[in-house]
Amino acid sequence: MRELGKDWVQLGARVSRKRAVSRLHPLSPAVFLVRNLGKTIPLTLVIMLSVMLVAGVIALIDSIPYSIRTIYAYTKESLGVSPRGDSTHMPAILSTIREGTPVEIDRIITCRVSGSEVHSIVGKWPFVVLGLGQADMSYFLQHQGVTSVVGRYPRQGQPEAIVSAPVARNLGLHLGSILQGPENQDSYSQKNVIVVGIAQTTRWLMVDPIEYQRLYHFPPVDLAMVFAKNRADQPKLDAWAEKRFKGERAQLFTYAKIDEDTRNMFETLFKIIDIVIGLLVVVITLMMAMLINIYQGQRLVEFGLLQAIGYTKRRLVGRTLLENILVVIFGWIMGIFCALGLLIVVRALFIEPHAYALDVYDQGPYRYTIPIPLTIMLVACGTILLRFRRFDPVAVVERRIV
Amino acid sequence: MNETIVEAQSATLRYWDHGREVFACREVDLSVAPGEFLGILGPSGSGKSSLLYLLSGLKLPTSGEVRLNGQNFSQMHDEMRSSTRLNEFGFVFQQPYLLGYLSAAENVLVAQRGSIEEAYDLLDRLGVGEKAHRLPHELSGGERQRVCVARALIGTPKVVFADEPTASLDHTNGLAVVELLHQHRGGGSVVMVTHDRSMLQPADRVVIIEDGRIQFDAA
Repeated sequence: MRELGKDWVQLGARVSRKRAVSRLHPLSPAVFLVRNLGKTIPLTLVIMLSVMLVAGVIALIDSIPYSIRTIYAYTKESLGVSPRGDSTHMPAILSTIREGTPVEIDRIITCRVSGSEVHSIVGKWPFVVLGLGQADMSYFLQHQGVTSVVGRYPRQGQPEAIVSAPVARNLGLHLGSILQGPENQDSYSQKNVIVVGIAQTTRWLMVDPIEYQRLYHFPPVDLAMVFAKNRADQPKLDAWAEKRFKGERAQLFTYAKIDEDTRNMFETLFKIIDIVIGLLVVVITLMMAMLINIYQGQRLVEFGLLQAIGYTKRRLVGRTLLENILVVIFGWIMGIFCALGLLIVVRALFIEPHAYALDVYDQGPYRYTIPIPLTIMLVACGTILLRFRRFDPVAVVERRIV
Repeated sequence: MNETIVEAQSATLRYWDHGREVFACREVDLSVAPGEFLGILGPSGSGKSSLLYLLSGLKLPTSGEVRLNGQNFSQMHDEMRSSTRLNEFGFVFQQPYLLGYLSAAENVLVAQRGSIEEAYDLLDRLGVGEKAHRLPHELSGGERQRVCVARALIGTPKVVFADEPTASLDHTNGLAVVELLHQHRGGGSVVMVTHDRSMLQPADRVVIIEDGRIQFDAA
């Protein structure tokens, strides 16, 4: 029994000794960070939350122009042409296009448009109901990547419309809903235009018969959509037309123009955002510098002792810098993942039900957060170097400064 | 003992305090022999701690020389002096300074001179082996100072410098710590500063310092 008891004591001692020493060097940064969670967590949280805040705000603001580009993405497939001032110019304009085009043209569709609206993150946006002929309708929808249609196509001349799935989701439309009507000031038509088909595609589309628009909508001007034979050539055709008709009595609608207008529209807003983010980075950096300074101040005994027993200043500075760099990088990575998670939740709860656009995987907002860890690291280095510059370990072991 | 390991020759440490010139040590000549237990005795403010800092290279003399194995501390690069302190000296200070987030055994290993087994062995011999896994706040003052002694002794440094190691302990614990330093120094020298004569019973030699000057030096 005595032997058995001795074995237990030895086993107990072995277990307690196993716990007594970490596998890492006692002074490795990881040991300090893990065993001082009271300091590590606040630092990590500040960086994480600031990265999450910046990435989240930028992603949500970016979603506005992204939504505009998504809403009008159907313009990628064709060059829209409208006469200016005099509708009789249209044949001449189209003739110029046919003769001068640098790429092969597949089809020119005559169309009419009437005004409507869709909802976006920043309120209502203008949209058009395209009036198309029966044959052109299926050609157009096919070009917009429509895979199937729930319901049917609108009948010739009838107040009926087909909308795409995102539009239906955005406006809460179903088969039988009214797309335009006499009582709808935002989307007016003399008769109630009924949704008879929902096209399955990611594009935003509203289409009704051209005959109906010719009868009930103003102005009485036919427009045209010009499709390049090869879809990859469409931007080339658009660019040529922009140049060719500059200063002439033709108005062009191209995706490139929408893209440029969108960029210009938000240029000032983005400049303001840059200033705000810059100020935020300064505030966060100052806060972090303060926290780091306080935490370093609490470790004077540790630094004094280690320097007194023979650790070089360079080694202690290196160790402290590494600890801070690890915290900053870890906080930044956590912030990126949390921002991604937050945006996925926001998209699922608020964006997708309304078919708004939010690209959670766009690297832009995450790249925007890079100055945060960089400036914090810079300030941390400065704070630590200053702290150690005139540090006298003897003052600590003599208890003059603690 | 003609051989010396640490030697001060006319070592003076002077500083300015609010515009007044203060001599912490004046023209001190002192040598420490290998294996010797040297006690430095003096009242508060006599300059005994300053002398210890000079001998251990923690401070450099404003004039004169301090040599380790014939090498002048003042001519050594700062990093070299630090490396000498880490590899060849052990330190015990007035307060039992330990890193609060490390266990007793890890605090001993901070000295970087010995293995885990050596750390356990020393803690066992110093009577705190069972508490090797405890954090400093879980130890009494006496136990903490024993851990500091283990940190100073691990790897058998050439010299252990002890600056009033009993100051924060009661008399019994103080005597025990001095006895442990004496017994477990493993052939290394000990230089111990104190104002309490009774703590220097194990000393081979005692010097008395007053106003920064050595007044008495006897075996």
